[in-house]
Amino acid sequence: MNRFDLITPEGTRDLLFEECAAVKSVEGRLLKMFSDRGYSEVTTPGLEFYDVFDSKSRYFPQESMYKLVDNRSRLMVVRPDTTMPIARMTATRLKDRALPIRLCYSQSVFRNRPGMRGRRDEIRQTGIELIGAGTKRAELEVLSMALDSLRSFRTGGSRLELGHIGFFKAFLSEFDSDTVEEIRSLIEYKNYPALDDLLSEFPQSADRDALKHLPRLFGGTEVFDKAAAIAKGNSAALAALEDLKKTYGVLSGMMEKGSITIDLGLVNRMDYYTGIVMKGYVEGFGEAVLSGGRYDNLLADFGLDVPAVGFAVNTDSVARAEMKTEPPVLRSADTLVFWEDGYEAEALSLAGKLTAEGRTVETAVCDDKESAVRYAAEHGMKLYTLPGEVQ
Amino acid sequence: MKEQRPLRIALTKGRLEKDTVGLLEKMGYDCTQVREKGRRLILPVGDTIEVVLAKAADVITYVENGVCDLGVVGKDTIIEMNGKFFELCDLGFGRCRFALAGKKGDDFYSGTHVRTIATKYPTVTRNFFEKKNMDVEIVKIEGSVELAPLLGLSHAIVDIVETGTTLKENGLEVFEYICPISARLIANMVSLKLRQTEIEELIAKIEKNLSAGNAV
Repeated sequence: MNRFDLITPEGTRDLLFEECAAVKSVEGRLLKMFSDRGYSEVTTPGLEFYDVFDSKSRYFPQESMYKLVDNRSRLMVVRPDTTMPIARMTATRLKDRALPIRLCYSQSVFRNRPGMRGRRDEIRQTGIELIGAGTKRAELEVLSMALDSLRSFRTGGSRLELGHIGFFKAFLSEFDSDTVEEIRSLIEYKNYPALDDLLSEFPQSADRDALKHLPRLFGGTEVFDKAAAIAKGNSAALAALEDLKKTYGVLSGMMEKGSITIDLGLVNRMDYYTGIVMKGYVEGFGEAVLSGGRYDNLLADFGLDVPAVGFAVNTDSVARAEMKTEPPVLRSADTLVFWEDGYEAEALSLAGKLTAEGRTVETAVCDDKESAVRYAAEHGMKLYTLPGEVQ
Repeated sequence: MKEQRPLRIALTKGRLEKDTVGLLEKMGYDCTQVREKGRRLILPVGDTIEVVLAKAADVITYVENGVCDLGVVGKDTIIEMNGKFFELCDLGFGRCRFALAGKKGDDFYSGTHVRTIATKYPTVTRNFFEKKNMDVEIVKIEGSVELAPLLGLSHAIVDIVETGTTLKENGLEVFEYICPISARLIANMVSLKLRQTEIEELIAKIEKNLSAGNAV
């Protein structure tokens, strides 16, 4: 029988030295920024009951979750997402707290993805949730923090993209739910030819024609005029568009031109998001590194009917992009402390004192002084010997 | 943003590569380097485009991971691989169909036995029979799938059919067509956003040339 005791499962990996430092640096910068803005960090269990993720509005395809059973034969999953556990936690343990609640987190989620495609199954995410505030102000707070996050990444460039799920939903009244899912998926993947073919089977209508154009509605401010022309007479669509335009106006004032764009074809997870949606991209990485939006119905699913908005950053992805432009420099010891027998306590406390002065200190593990001298010379370290002088 | 590398397009080696090169030349790009490629796999086309030659499935992998911005690949591979990318344009060439085929005269759907299907496309086959609520046993074959029913390994095959000549010469026939196939232009989901103008201009040119080609 094959043993797998020397390798890691597909889609997971050990992070060593520079790679580890790069991820921790991204996480550290984000958590600092979140905490500076009044967000408190929480963690949730690595294992949750399957039921937490099993509902239409929470929608995780069951084949994408790693499952196991507990000692009472109940189905559990390895956490595939953090927002839902946070919603569960807020709706139970924080239900009597004054709103709004500002939470942040930094932990891995696990998705069972088809192997050998260069994708990861363990995804490290750092993010925020602003719970219990349905106002534009709450959205602007979260979106501006998404912008700040993107700007803090040491990559070639970044881009925040905004959409509004309400615009898409405004055109769906004449289609049944299976067709809607088909249309949604074709719009999400900008499959222009297949979307055209599918919609051409339906009788001509304003909604149908709008949907045909929807995936092409992405880019800069020019999108608003095009979208308004297409949505003419559809008050729900125009309201969503107006909402988005206002948000865009405020945010683009914060950032240089071109760093914020619009895509009205951002229609992933339509059962989950209820308003503004966002994605963040960085140069040198082929997938979105940040995603989020407003999800006003999720908490109600767990029994606490309050609105919420948030986003998560895939910190591994950002770290991989940063490694290309600015690989982290690892700290190596610049000082060695050696002691002769009988000077253990003095030497060890000297090591502590030297670190307080900002030095990086190793203590010699060899028994003879010659080896310590050689080791210090080889590594370019300053040597302290006890008893004795600095060399 | 920093200066950018040329727009990188992954082409499926073989017929789709030739058809795409033909299209690019019609659009006014200089493809000499691709025509005289020797054994090189990354080739410049003018100053703004770089062509990468790869196997069909690899075109999708490269585009999905963002190391190529665009790709030209058959719908057959797209359905089989089922990845995350934008599918922007039906290029119209490389037309054929997925079909269920077997020995001439066999009545595939009669009887209560579980059918064995030989194919290079297990996902396409599974999806097709799942829609019919039929349990089938799928055998993955790498080479000439037509052999499987002739040798008695399977009841039928799911494969790409263009003219049907190979089937006919081996005493097989199409039982049912599954779906049409043609070459598609796909794009990485981030590239399309970060290089929107370049890509949209290219697509506009492609579409212009395609409709001009169809008119002839």
